[in-house]
Amino acid sequence: MFHLENIIYTFPATKRIGKRAHVGVVGSGDLEIMMEPCDSSQTEVTIRTGITGFKDTWEAVIYRFFNQHDIAAKVKINDFGATPGVVSIRLSQALEVSCND
Amino acid sequence: MIRTLKASFVECSGRDRAQKLLDDGTYIELLGPFDGLESPHLEPQGIVPQSDDGVIIARGTLNRQRVVVISIEGNFQGGGIGEVSGAKIAGALERALKDCEAGIKTIPLLMFDTGGVRLQEANYGLLSIAEIGAAIVALRRHVPVIAVIPGKIGAFGGMSITAGLCSAIIMTREGRLGLNGPEVIEQEAGIREFDSKDRQLIWGTIGGNQRTAAGFADLLIEDDIEAVKEAVTSIINSEVIPKIRTEQVERYQAFLNLINPLQRMSPEKVRELWKDSETTIENKVEFVSESEKSAGRGQVWFDLLRNDAAEIGDIPSVRVADSMIGDTKVRYIAVVPDAQNRFPRARKGEVGLQEGWSIAKHIREAIEADQYGEKRAIVAIVDVPSQAYGYHEELLGIHQACAAAVDAYATARLAGHPVISFIPGNAISGAFLSHGMQANRLIALRDAGVNVHVMSKQSAARITQRSLEELEAATKKVPAMAYDIESFEKLGALFSLVDGVEASAPGRKDYDIIYKEIGQAIEDVRMDGLTDLSGRLTSAIAQSGGRSASILVREKLNEQWN
Repeated sequence: MFHLENIIYTFPATKRIGKRAHVGVVGSGDLEIMMEPCDSSQTEVTIRTGITGFKDTWEAVIYRFFNQHDIAAKVKINDFGATPGVVSIRLSQALEVSCND
Repeated sequence: MIRTLKASFVECSGRDRAQKLLDDGTYIELLGPFDGLESPHLEPQGIVPQSDDGVIIARGTLNRQRVVVISIEGNFQGGGIGEVSGAKIAGALERALKDCEAGIKTIPLLMFDTGGVRLQEANYGLLSIAEIGAAIVALRRHVPVIAVIPGKIGAFGGMSITAGLCSAIIMTREGRLGLNGPEVIEQEAGIREFDSKDRQLIWGTIGGNQRTAAGFADLLIEDDIEAVKEAVTSIINSEVIPKIRTEQVERYQAFLNLINPLQRMSPEKVRELWKDSETTIENKVEFVSESEKSAGRGQVWFDLLRNDAAEIGDIPSVRVADSMIGDTKVRYIAVVPDAQNRFPRARKGEVGLQEGWSIAKHIREAIEADQYGEKRAIVAIVDVPSQAYGYHEELLGIHQACAAAVDAYATARLAGHPVISFIPGNAISGAFLSHGMQANRLIALRDAGVNVHVMSKQSAARITQRSLEELEAATKKVPAMAYDIESFEKLGALFSLVDGVEASAPGRKDYDIIYKEIGQAIEDVRMDGLTDLSGRLTSAIAQSGGRSASILVREKLNEQWN
């Protein structure tokens, strides 16, 4: 009871993103992502979720995304039960926002 | 121009709503997602916080008018008002007020999408909503404060009272406006009173269409971004000048007098009676009967404090008397049980429809009488179990009755009347917001029968989808969720918590203590001369941790405002 899971991943990265991006809502089946440019050559992803016990799934989704997108960023995720598909879509959306004008 | 495609406003997120309202390129968000001001109270309860705590504050212009948009994100925790989100709203309104006072006209636009107080932060939400209300009443003297209720959630709980304080309310058909949500009425009053699954019943009672037709909202618009802008602009430019609802005490009292609460009324009938009430301004006066008095704490303390002063109330459930404390004139107001109350759902001392309007009447009367002379003190004696829960209550706008009482107390305070709350019993939820929370000073008794909270445990458990045991456990971690007065004291809003007074059967000694205490509170108000509620944030307890987030939010907001 009353337990949140905090998960952190870091990867080496090279490409800088243009600006910070905020997408999504901490609402049923959704999540909020904050993506900020990072000066060091790495990506740090911090996840907070109330749906505990799905570390493997998070790992798969996050690894896949940052394998495909080599970006140096600080990413914060506040999850409210998003499915892996929703997580991927939101990550892509955040990346799109942070790369566009 | 012919527009064939509409752009939905309801479907937009809270942030999109703010962005789409403002003129292109003028949107500046304050305390945004990257400023790191999330709720500190959710994570300990196993709830994931959101970076903006579900409230978006944006400055900018609308048709080149300087505005501040306050938009609530309904998808995060049901748009519930916690300490941070509440302080963002109150802080933004307080800043807009400062601007207005300095001659910089800044119009607040509130986009409602909220179930009211966030139950996980309970009394923080209650305090915030009182501060929001205080700021709106003060702001309305400078600029129109405009409420939009687009829909999805609507405006409920304490935030429906907030809407009722605004200069104008704009709704879509999808929007809902009511004090008690359908589930809460069902929980408190039974499914025969209100079936929370019956959507037709819900929208027929509190939906935008009905609210506009029955005198509780001003403009009914299509769910379209341009329509929202047009409606807001029409009010800013005074093309539509709504009458301030909370000030129309006679009209609403006349309206209520046309109603027979013992027959279940249809929404259509209410629309008719609302129209009729425009021409039948006549107040039926009920007698205050001595024989049917309750033995509750409110009544007992009222009788003790007023001494032999004559009663001047107009209904048996709202007792009013003018008396003296030293050289100071005092008007005492107490809401008490009346077993014969015309409205059956308000027979146990709840603040109901008649009670809200009656409080408003008696305070406004005093404000007017003292306009050019000494401003008498107004003392609310608070022992209220809750607001009244019922179908008629919602249909006939109990949120508006509560708003009328809130407005009257706040107006008295702003006019220089020392407003004191004396709490010998329960001070709960919408009832406390309406009767007590707008006071300059709060005095409570240290007694197990003195409780402050926002919802019964059963209802709170149902709404937050927890078991009673889980709720109790959470209560231990967050003082704002606890019900006892000692936990409430930790939030720093009390002027004093008085020891050693017999709460239910007070004698002469108890009278002397409280008489003196109220006198000191009045003196304290006169000394500092402040007419707002800022004292609740500058108290030693508030400063040393009781309201840390509320204070921090305001500081950061001030830094970012200009």
